[in-house]
Amino acid sequence: MRTAVGPEQIQFLAELRDYLDGLDTELIESTRAENIEDPMQPRQHGRRFLRRLGADRWLGVSWPKEYGGQGRTPIEQWLFAEELYNRRLPNGLLTLNAIGPTLMLMGTEAQKADYLPRILTGELEFAIGYSEPDAGSDLAALRTRAVRDGEDYVVNGQKIWTTGAGLATHFWLATRTGAQEDRHRGLSLFITAMDTPGITVTPIITQGGERTNAVFLDNVRIPAGNRIAQENQGWSAITAALNFERMFYHNEPRWELRQLAGWADAAGLLDGDTADAHALAEVMGEHAVDVEICRLFALRGARMLAEGRVPYAEASANKIWWGELRQRICSSGLDLIGEDGTIAVGSPFAPAHGYLEHGLRSSPVWRFGGGTNEIQLDIIATRGLGMPR
Amino acid sequence: MTDTDLTQQEALLAKTARDYFTDFADNTYLNQQEAAEHGYEPARWKQLCDLGWTGINLPERVGGADGTLAEAGVLARECGRAAFASPLLATMRAGTVLAALGADGRFDDVLTAIADGAPAALIAPPDRTVAAEPDGQGRHRLSGPPAVVEWLEQADSAVLLVPVAATDRWLCAIVAPGQLDGRVTAVPSTDNERVARVDLDGLSVGGCDDIGARAAQWALARANLLRASLMVGGCESVLERSAKYAKERVQFGQPIGAFQAVRHHLARMVIATDAARLTCDDALTRAEAGADESAIAAVALFAAGRSYLETVLTAAQVHGGVGTTTEHILHHHYRRAKAMQLRSGKRASRLREIHAALVCRHEGSLW
Repeated sequence: MRTAVGPEQIQFLAELRDYLDGLDTELIESTRAENIEDPMQPRQHGRRFLRRLGADRWLGVSWPKEYGGQGRTPIEQWLFAEELYNRRLPNGLLTLNAIGPTLMLMGTEAQKADYLPRILTGELEFAIGYSEPDAGSDLAALRTRAVRDGEDYVVNGQKIWTTGAGLATHFWLATRTGAQEDRHRGLSLFITAMDTPGITVTPIITQGGERTNAVFLDNVRIPAGNRIAQENQGWSAITAALNFERMFYHNEPRWELRQLAGWADAAGLLDGDTADAHALAEVMGEHAVDVEICRLFALRGARMLAEGRVPYAEASANKIWWGELRQRICSSGLDLIGEDGTIAVGSPFAPAHGYLEHGLRSSPVWRFGGGTNEIQLDIIATRGLGMPR
Repeated sequence: MTDTDLTQQEALLAKTARDYFTDFADNTYLNQQEAAEHGYEPARWKQLCDLGWTGINLPERVGGADGTLAEAGVLARECGRAAFASPLLATMRAGTVLAALGADGRFDDVLTAIADGAPAALIAPPDRTVAAEPDGQGRHRLSGPPAVVEWLEQADSAVLLVPVAATDRWLCAIVAPGQLDGRVTAVPSTDNERVARVDLDGLSVGGCDDIGARAAQWALARANLLRASLMVGGCESVLERSAKYAKERVQFGQPIGAFQAVRHHLARMVIATDAARLTCDDALTRAEAGADESAIAAVALFAAGRSYLETVLTAAQVHGGVGTTTEHILHHHYRRAKAMQLRSGKRASRLREIHAALVCRHEGSLW
């Protein structure tokens, strides 16, 4: 059997850990708190943290050196993401891990020169504009229209579930340029600054306390040079970015299991010999198995990328496993805690700091975000097994 | 899916073994052997031994091929794919334990016999129900309830590995069939492997009692990885057969694989199979001599059992009635999945061990 994580990779991880351990404690603690509260959008401290990493050249581990990266393999990139997730620190999320690589594949030289260096310094933060009120899983039905007008496109329509739009500097925007009935063959993708006139962002607050948004586009003018790929060929950029996105589901389940272990330890249940302790050990033992499986699903994706292959069905399996596991750890962890588990995050009496309670409230999006798990299962069955549609 | 962890040499070995089994081990053959007196075909056994399979990961000094545990795992996987019942897994497990514990040559006689094709059994009750106690005269007296052991009656020797009561040491003893006279009862197994119930209570054995608990557990972990790999092979075969059936079987005017409900069943089988294979391969990769990576091996064993069972249950649903008949090979996998899982012992005990190793002691993980 071949190992993907060799001495060179372990050395890289040791260097990364040294670097992270040496960062300013205040920066780390405030970033972590902010990230636990709402991980999908780096805010004041998260942005500060990412700019620090960028300045120290720790962003873009696997980016080619020509784009300012470290030029390492996807295995090191995976280790980087695992380590940051394990510490509950932001790792650049979609901007660094999905938008950047997609731009490298499909951007023009001018676009790459414009955006890639600023992504690597942590200066840019993208929001993703795919979903619409009538186009969720059926993304190819989207209706936000971009009409060519001289050197510009004029965009009108509405996006929803646009997480991070309130903080983002830029918008990764899917629009219809062809006929509605052309479905995915009539879409074009644009980048525009979030403060472009005509963009209005309205917050939507979730049951987990996270903020997502509706975005209204009203005669928004975008220069044609900001279009990614050819007109009506935006679908390939959308699917490429989504696939990169599904590759980056990692180590949070391990972190959540550790929160449960912390509670169990304080309650004297972690390694006791009582019926309660045994029941807990059985539940946590199975979660520990599933956390290792989660690691290996993600590592497989990294290894395939390192071998020059693109994981599709494999990325879907990773994403399904990750989201279902996180939700399972939160729910069954609360089962072990019992009635105290109803105490909400924020109270000093909340078991496991309230992270499992908060996690369960936040968990639905883990199963439908980035493409519903039902769509992922279809991808596995059709692309992985060749089932007819 | 298309991904594989195998090296070129392992892939070649896998192909050789797969071609070998594909040539004869169909459902009719498996049914015949299950009904036959010995449960396996001695002529086939000799072929396996001539191919060097019983000694693939045993040292050269005993006539083995000096291969890796991963290579032994590849063979076990192909056995599992074929649902092929024989003393091979038990013999490889016994040899693997002895090789791990006998680097100083103390078990070389038995290892030489195994490498030469003598079937062996491994008596190591997974829930540690049997213990040894020194009798003060250099031997040990065993105590505990009867144990169910694979291929015990067909074995030339049995390798016993049990804890020494009230110590952190283990006893490893070679037990000859004659020593077990009157203590062994053949019992029917739920699957096509042969098992016997052996009453060890009061038996006096001579062996090595200087084995540390960690060494014993690492030896057993290596043996268990062979069972895990066998179950991974079972998962792969069951998944492939189910996918093929879903493309061929037409209902309501289309292949049933075109129905989303069935596609999702199959996708779940893919996930379960991948989970089992990835953990098993990770553990086999790390299973170098002396590595002491027992925790990840326990994860692999648990994941393989859970996935194999999930896979056969779903496969039975996808196949419907045809999958439940003895005319379809699925019935062998169906029964083997639960049997192989149960031969790893009690689910709750395994999970508590995994909890202690991974959650409490943080063994073997980068995080």
